[in-house]
Amino acid sequence: MAADFWASTQRRYWQFSKEQLAELRDKLDNEDKTLVQQCPLPDRRLLSHFFNTQLVKLGKRMPIRQQAIATAQVYIRRFYIKVPIRQTNPYIVMATALYLACKMEESPQHIRVVVGEASAVWSGSEHLPTKPSFADQQDVIPLDVSKLGEFEFYLISEMNSQLIVHHPYRTLQELQSTLNLAPDEISLAWSVINDHYMTDLPLLNPPHVIAVSAIFLALTLKPTQGGLQATIATAAALSNTPQLSKNTSSADNRAPDMTSNKVQNFVAWLAEGEVDIKAVVDCSQEIISLYEVLEQYKETTCKEQIAACMKKRGLV
Amino acid sequence: MSGPNNPPSAAATARLSVAQGSSLKRSVQAAFDESSDPKKMPANSYTSKVRVLDKYKVIGFISSGTYGRVYKAVGLNGQSGEFAIKKFKPDKEGEMIQYTGISQSACREMALCSELSHPNVINLVEIILEDKCIFMVFEYAEHDLLQIIQHHTQPTRHPIPASAIKSILFQLLNGLYYLHSSWVLHRDLKPANIMVTSRGEVRIGDLGLARLFYKPLHSLFNGDKVVVTIWYRAPELLLGSKHYTPAVDLWAVGCIFAELLSLRPIFKGEEAKLDNKKTVPFQRSQMQKIVDVLGLPTVEKWPNLVHHVDYGNLGHLTPLGPRLPPSENGRCAGLEAWYWNTLRTSNYEANLNAGTPGPQGLDLLSKLLEWDPAKRLTAEDALQHPYFSANGDKVSANCFEGMSAQYPHRRVSQDDNDIRTSSLPGTKRNGLPDDTFAGRPTKRLKD
Repeated sequence: MAADFWASTQRRYWQFSKEQLAELRDKLDNEDKTLVQQCPLPDRRLLSHFFNTQLVKLGKRMPIRQQAIATAQVYIRRFYIKVPIRQTNPYIVMATALYLACKMEESPQHIRVVVGEASAVWSGSEHLPTKPSFADQQDVIPLDVSKLGEFEFYLISEMNSQLIVHHPYRTLQELQSTLNLAPDEISLAWSVINDHYMTDLPLLNPPHVIAVSAIFLALTLKPTQGGLQATIATAAALSNTPQLSKNTSSADNRAPDMTSNKVQNFVAWLAEGEVDIKAVVDCSQEIISLYEVLEQYKETTCKEQIAACMKKRGLV
Repeated sequence: MSGPNNPPSAAATARLSVAQGSSLKRSVQAAFDESSDPKKMPANSYTSKVRVLDKYKVIGFISSGTYGRVYKAVGLNGQSGEFAIKKFKPDKEGEMIQYTGISQSACREMALCSELSHPNVINLVEIILEDKCIFMVFEYAEHDLLQIIQHHTQPTRHPIPASAIKSILFQLLNGLYYLHSSWVLHRDLKPANIMVTSRGEVRIGDLGLARLFYKPLHSLFNGDKVVVTIWYRAPELLLGSKHYTPAVDLWAVGCIFAELLSLRPIFKGEEAKLDNKKTVPFQRSQMQKIVDVLGLPTVEKWPNLVHHVDYGNLGHLTPLGPRLPPSENGRCAGLEAWYWNTLRTSNYEANLNAGTPGPQGLDLLSKLLEWDPAKRLTAEDALQHPYFSANGDKVSANCFEGMSAQYPHRRVSQDDNDIRTSSLPGTKRNGLPDDTFAGRPTKRLKD
């Protein structure tokens, strides 16, 4: 069913275990080991953050909703477990993914507009290596509708025409009243969901698990409640208490913010529900470590390494 | 059944095809052969891993529309069975076929068909993207409702057995219930889009206009200004409703039910074309046809009526004359008269073999052709209607059950225009000597 995650192609074909993902990527890397060594690329999360930033930049030039950007990010992640990143021009991948995502999220943009705006955003030497020899290079994305159109075929084909993506935003909205979430908590959870597209979580977990994790982080990450460290402690407490409903008080000792009424309600709801608590804890920890990794993010490093890689492959 | 707006070119093309005769045999194959040799492709470009002609042998042409063409094929290399391959034609720029981006309707159809799986929805086998063309491979269905209705008008009118209609309708609603509970609106239900297999199983086809309606980013109206082929278009759409619902599909089911009974479209209006300003005109002729049977809608029966853009235009229509007796049990007197008259002229009472849909049929029809979309039956409710359970009959999953006669097979021809040069407007069906079907309007969206 198109709107039922359990029967969806997303669940049937695009959910993996961490081990499966690692295996798929090792296989891609082994296709050309020398290239992988010669063209170092940043940590996948840093690279994903770069993609995210670029998509948001491009999206701002057109009327595009967040959900289309989210779908585009999922497309890119799916594509790059089938195709080695070093064999592609990531700018074309990004522009095409966004173009297709806009159509699928029912806010279509004309292909000329996407190509035009992409060229404008990524024009000039900004995205090319800073060495002088590259100064007069052409743009990273050719201003060419047929190139994007051709790449769309490639993208759809690698995804087996499975283009409908289920997002956690819907579960978040559905849980708003159940969990009595305040507007600031919703918006915090919303941005956590936005951020999770920089991780592998969309390929590892069903959207409702992500949504519940985002709510958990929103309730515990609030600046007034001790921030990151407290959340880590809470997550640890959660993972160590298999029978939550009986043990919520013991968790209180470890994490002070568990005393918050809302968090307690949330934990109680979690305990009686059918959501996989271990998965929620894993997700939350994944997102927390994303925030830690992102502290090392440097946009220029990403740009330069991608540019060097494309140069090496003659893709520019 | 000559239609009001025959696209003359379609009939002309049909005659042309016949005249060209056997030399066209090659061109069916040619439509697929144009795929270029992957070895010749320049580096760094897209080539399909799967080639259509490696897996399927094309044996003929079925139909064409604005989207492209449908071919009949058989599987190769141990893949048994028959298939319908829908080829989306790429846009052309000058002489060269270029990648210009896939239309939104093709994207929707590819994505939705990949997700959906139900015995009453057409089954997608695979999608092959090869050399600028999209090939959607479907299971083959031998018949469709338009063809079945047509068969019953020749050589003389003879009714479709009531039990067959009951089975068709039940399966259609069952498929529609699945679509709606999957948050999919079909938006183009009409006899030509309802397939029937040789085993009598109904399959809803052509999801080219279908879309998800769960919390759309924009109002559904903004996305596509015009939906549903005019004769099957629900009154709220004709009146310019901004927020429409799955109820539009149920109106179309009502129209199809009526057409199965009478073998003619019940509301056969003429479409007012979009003017140059691209504003949607009031579909006066179509609305008048509905009013001719149902009478004018009233605010008492349809409170939201006044909020429709074209509410004011209703005053320009000719109301149903006072010749009809007042309605009993709240039912629309005009429809009641239409129904019993249809049953009589279609020989349902006299023809014992055909059985009769009876008073329960009228009740179901009137609840499907309900003005107010909020009161119209849902697919789920319609499946529970006594029409399907009366007399303790079980509805057969084979709509041909108990029928001695067989319907003729879908006509498949070797005729095809060279796909590289054709730019056929409108819809064309293979093997029709006249404009019988060309008269039927189609509704496709500009993307």
